[in-house]
Amino acid sequence: MATPVIAVNGLSKHFKVPEREAGLKASTRALFKRSHRLVKAVDAISFSIEPGEVVGFLGPNGAGKTTTLKMLSGLLHPTGGQVAVLGYEPKKRDHDYLKQITLVMGNRNQLSWDLPALDSFELYRALYGIERSRFEKLRDDFIELLEVGDLVRKPVRNLSLGERMKVEIIGALLHTPGVLFLDEPTIGLDVTMQRRIRRFIAEYNRRYGATVLLTSHYMADVEALCKRVIVIHHGKILYDGALAGLVEQFSAFKKVSVTLSGPDVDVSGFGEVLERDGSRVTLRIPKAETSRATARLLSELDADDLTVEDPPVEDVIEQVFATEAA
Amino acid sequence: MRRYLDYYLTSMRMAILEQFQYRVANYFYMIGMVAEPVIYLVVWSTVAEAQGGEVGGYTPAAFAAYYIVWTLVRNMNIVFTPYGWEGYIQRGQLSAELLKPIHPIHNFLSFFAGWKVVVILFWLPLAAILSLIFKPALDFTWVEVVVFFFAIWGAYLIRTMLLTLLGMITFWTTRVSAIYELFFAFELVLSGRLVPMSLMPVWVQEIADWLPFQWTFGYPIESLVAQLPPAELWGGLGMQALWIGITTVMVAVMWRFGIRRFSAVGN
Amino acid sequence: MKRIFHLTFTFLRIGILNEMQYRVNFFIQLLQSFVALGTGLVGLALVFEHTTDLSGWTRPELLAVMGVHILMGGVIRAAIQPNMQTLANDIQQGTLDYALTKPVDSQVIVSVREFRLWQVVDVVMGFIVLSWAVVELQEGLGVVDALVFAATLVLGGIMIYCFWLMLTTSAFWIIRVYEMINLFEGLYAAGRWPVGIYPLWLRSMLTFLVPVAFAVTVPSEILVGQSSTQTLIGALALTIFLVVLARFVWSLGVRNYSGASA
Repeated sequence: MATPVIAVNGLSKHFKVPEREAGLKASTRALFKRSHRLVKAVDAISFSIEPGEVVGFLGPNGAGKTTTLKMLSGLLHPTGGQVAVLGYEPKKRDHDYLKQITLVMGNRNQLSWDLPALDSFELYRALYGIERSRFEKLRDDFIELLEVGDLVRKPVRNLSLGERMKVEIIGALLHTPGVLFLDEPTIGLDVTMQRRIRRFIAEYNRRYGATVLLTSHYMADVEALCKRVIVIHHGKILYDGALAGLVEQFSAFKKVSVTLSGPDVDVSGFGEVLERDGSRVTLRIPKAETSRATARLLSELDADDLTVEDPPVEDVIEQVFATEAA
Repeated sequence: MRRYLDYYLTSMRMAILEQFQYRVANYFYMIGMVAEPVIYLVVWSTVAEAQGGEVGGYTPAAFAAYYIVWTLVRNMNIVFTPYGWEGYIQRGQLSAELLKPIHPIHNFLSFFAGWKVVVILFWLPLAAILSLIFKPALDFTWVEVVVFFFAIWGAYLIRTMLLTLLGMITFWTTRVSAIYELFFAFELVLSGRLVPMSLMPVWVQEIADWLPFQWTFGYPIESLVAQLPPAELWGGLGMQALWIGITTVMVAVMWRFGIRRFSAVGN
Repeated sequence: MKRIFHLTFTFLRIGILNEMQYRVNFFIQLLQSFVALGTGLVGLALVFEHTTDLSGWTRPELLAVMGVHILMGGVIRAAIQPNMQTLANDIQQGTLDYALTKPVDSQVIVSVREFRLWQVVDVVMGFIVLSWAVVELQEGLGVVDALVFAATLVLGGIMIYCFWLMLTTSAFWIIRVYEMINLFEGLYAAGRWPVGIYPLWLRSMLTFLVPVAFAVTVPSEILVGQSSTQTLIGALALTIFLVVLARFVWSLGVRNYSGASA
């Protein structure tokens, strides 16, 4: 087995958050004694990622995803545990390490606002010491892949959100890093844009064998790109494995859609009604009872058409987080 | 370190392109700034005339020369304001810089250096107009011009380091106004910005000798207009180099502690 | 008329209540004012290290000028400048409609709605400085003189207001108003010294273009007993002229704005 690219062991990040209640008495008290609350943003997580893997990092806001990415890229110092990426300790911020990674955060701009993206690309070329001919070929390749030929000559401030994200990603990859940390790269973009960026990342991964760690709110991102997902909540890892397995493990329900003979048929005894559209009803039925329920539906209700599906992954995740929070 | 040279040149080029887009704003700012030295100039010329033509070794024409060159040196002194550090950190810009395989200070140094090139270009016509109005004593040698050129960049470096030190205080607290205001007040008086240092009482000059301020302002101006003897002329460059060294070390040390603190909380 | 005063006081109250929430700003302002005063005093002391009078003005007289300058600066930064900056913003962003659709004269609204309480620190400080100067002058200040002084201050303030209003109103036609505001700061700074010391061309600018001379030098002259009835009449005449002119320019601007917005 090859050495993992990313090796995380018992990694923790705790924050001391000053606590202050409202009111004059509390403020005066705060002058003399500061009370703190310990927030365990990341709580002793462990995982390892092999070269070339594209891993999705799922979790609601505040779960610890961004904190973990920041520790992996050296921006935050861990409170405990070990982390090694490409054999380096990220917090040392070795220049040779930084040349091999990239961190892209979805609504943050790193390109110069007033100048065309091409000028910012030049700066990156100088910054990373990329040889000129190699740089030009890569740059032109990426521009073509993302179809931004005419956009790179316009000042970045004149681009739309999606266009800006495309040129930001190009800028982030010009030095062909082997490890990509992508934090919500498609946030706020329309569906077409999201798909283009996903395709680009997949293509980059294919061409350069890069390892990708991606966080996202959008299941579509994860489903399209990641074979493996790590689910994190309250700083702890809830699941680490194949995406398909996630549904298997966490979903306690199946979705059954059935077309009945008429719109008024009573289906209350079979399961929770999710949707009703004329004769077509969608029910939520506990997994264990699915076969029995479908058999009954077919025999007792004279159903024309019946489909059994897994619930969408979003729902599963939502359930997972809802139960964990409770 | 070809990579650093390449980076500086490219970054400066970008800064020039950017600032050219804002040329009107730049010009208005420079013109507005002229008011301060003109006021000083008029006041001191009045004093000089009342005292029989000169005061502290300066005639009105010499004051004119001092304060016209002042406008360039003042512009060279403008670097990233320490007040800007809070936003710089909070907007995630520091984090973005920390991901790059180069120390963030090179970003400041190279960007503002490019801007200064634009400033120097814009200053020339402004200086010509001021010269027509105030008739300065123009009496400098080519050697002095060369030294002046190095001195203004030396001033730029020292002040960048000083204000970076101030800005880094933001890593520990955002209640910084008092420190900054006091710093700027002392700098105003002890740097040669308010008046040429030779007009200051001797005890003030002695204090100023221990501080870096006059090497960012008074010395560059005097190197061009005050007919300094060679020892002082070249010695001044040496003092600048010394202060560049001292402040750079201070920045490097404070940076280590500051980044450690930043990386505990981050943004 | 009564309504205008009532409205002004309402805005004043709101402005004060707002600012009171940020008590930290009081301390910051206090510090800045002390630092500015300190450097001003240093400058003055330096000048008098080398001479006994500046163009006929003695040290306590110049101290009086500084006091008036600080006081006036406080008034400008507390009451005039914030309103004008909001107005400039409104014009450029197109949000002036709020002010134009109220059943009160629009010029009044845009002139009184903002108030920066903590700048009043400068008003107080300026007053202390000029009082000290008057004491040092040992000539005493007659009641009549004091009243005339106050009157010239008011006139000077009105003139500065008119100037600012016209400058800001030009934002209806010119885009780059912020830079011009920068120029004002520079020219106002010149008012720290009696305008008589400046070359004629600058003196004229400081009298007729940006009426700093009338806001600072003229009241100071009254304080130190150097005034003339001519100047006072001139001040009154210029004030009336500027008020009328400013009103005219304002109505032009408003008409232009309402026509332009879709």
